[in-house]
Amino acid sequence: MSILAVQGVSVSFGGVRALSDVSMDVAAGEIVGVIGPNGAGKTTLLNVVCGLNTPDQGTVTLDGTPITGRAPSAIARLGLGRTFQTSRLFPGMSVLENIMTGLHRRSRAGLLAAVARTRAMRAEESQMRARAIEALDFVGMAGFAARPGHALSFGQQRVVEIARMLISEPKVVLLDEPAVGLSPARVAELDTLLRRIRDEKGVTLVMIEHVVRLVMEVSERVVVLNSGQKIAEGRPETIKRDPAVIEAYLGSQGDAGRAAS
Amino acid sequence: MPVLHGNRAFLVILFTVLAALPLVANRYLLFVANLVMLYIILALGLNLLVGFAGQLAFANAAMYGIGAYGAGLLQVKVGLPYWIAAPGGALLAMGIGTLLALPALRLSGVYLALATLAFAQATQWVLLHWQAVTFGAGGFPVPQPDFGVLHLSPDHGVYYVTWIVTVGLLVLAWRVMRSRIGRAFVAMRDSEVAAQALGIDVTLYKAMAFAISGFYAGAAGALYCSVLAFVAPESFDLFQMILQKAMIVVGGLGSLVGSVLGAALLVSLLQVIREFKATQEIVFGALLLGFVLFQPRGLVDLLKRRLRGWEEPLHGP
Repeated sequence: MSILAVQGVSVSFGGVRALSDVSMDVAAGEIVGVIGPNGAGKTTLLNVVCGLNTPDQGTVTLDGTPITGRAPSAIARLGLGRTFQTSRLFPGMSVLENIMTGLHRRSRAGLLAAVARTRAMRAEESQMRARAIEALDFVGMAGFAARPGHALSFGQQRVVEIARMLISEPKVVLLDEPAVGLSPARVAELDTLLRRIRDEKGVTLVMIEHVVRLVMEVSERVVVLNSGQKIAEGRPETIKRDPAVIEAYLGSQGDAGRAAS
Repeated sequence: MPVLHGNRAFLVILFTVLAALPLVANRYLLFVANLVMLYIILALGLNLLVGFAGQLAFANAAMYGIGAYGAGLLQVKVGLPYWIAAPGGALLAMGIGTLLALPALRLSGVYLALATLAFAQATQWVLLHWQAVTFGAGGFPVPQPDFGVLHLSPDHGVYYVTWIVTVGLLVLAWRVMRSRIGRAFVAMRDSEVAAQALGIDVTLYKAMAFAISGFYAGAAGALYCSVLAFVAPESFDLFQMILQKAMIVVGGLGSLVGSVLGAALLVSLLQVIREFKATQEIVFGALLLGFVLFQPRGLVDLLKRRLRGWEEPLHGP
């Protein structure tokens, strides 16, 4: 039973076909990588899944619920988390407040409860605080709780963003180029973190990535897009040797192993 | 109880002084202190919307006017007692303020600023020209409420009502910002896309920010009509908007104490240069521009760096 199913999705912007008839199934607990050269339609696919783009054709189903065309916040509340290519940490909040915002859909206090500071509201707040500290601990950032978001390095922001999204307990997480702009040492740490997230939190991960090496090392299955179409799908070892993939990345000669190194 | 320091000490001292003022001050000083409190309410409401929730709206002066006209006309035209008319004016501004969230669902930044500015100018036009209801450009007098039961003069009575409402609304703003609602506001300001990705319903929180802000401006308007015992359209014009904007920028965008500080300082400055009416707009325009260019985080940012204990529920942008 797939937890995320993309069925025959097509998207056009004006006359440009960004995606044509793309299908993809993700099983619960899987780590799936989506790769492809620039302009292949990776980001469009991600935007369709999280509700920022509405497909012209096709459907997206999350854990049995059709989510095509729903608002991004509604899809998020159904259990889809995502991270962004550029940092979207809230710079004006502390790291702890950032993480607590991730608990928004898991908390209830309304305007009146907040104004009255009811016992239930205060209990919920301190519970959220404790869980946020725990989540920071999980990603090794506990010492940064009080820092404002804008004072973190790029790599730290990325890790806090992942923690902020994880704490909302999504069923499926979409990672949009998580390794972009990171040093090789940081990429290795990310590699470990992503595996721990899957193993310890049981979260399904779909990763869109330019750094092919990370995808090949972490993913169990790889989907390759080129010019808006799915050209290959399979285990990383198979994908590396797939002639269609090699051609898409390197023209007709060479091998994908070089692209991967 | 922990020792008070920093911003909390500042607030406690300020409001204690304001509470004691009627015992010593003359009528003029009392009027100025009353204005300071009205502008604290206005700046708090505007800062919640602009500084915290990130909605660049320019209709606060109009909301202030709607609150004042609502409260005044409900007394003069409908004959309702003050204690019903005043909250009525505030709720009217809150209702219209919530409707202003509609353009904000589609527009942001400069476009939202223009749409709300157009609304403010239209409001001004209605106040001037719908003479059958609003009494037109000349305005109208509003009777002051009677505080005879409490053995207070109307001036003192109105002053203490303002004091209580101001403290209440300050506490309310503080509590909202220290909750998940406050975090949702700031999340929406810092990145709407990321806020949505965390399941925050931006439609709901924009409406809420506009509603709260409208309520604050309306409450200030309702208080204003009994402080002055008179309402006229010129009090709610573009200069009024610049004045309020200057207060939150000078004090500090995204800072509640900054709103208090900005309101207190600018109302005082306004009294100093009152003699030279023509210079007012130049001085406030220049002040706004100077802060935007050289100290965009406002006075609170300077204080935060120099004094201990100036932390706030959430940081500025």
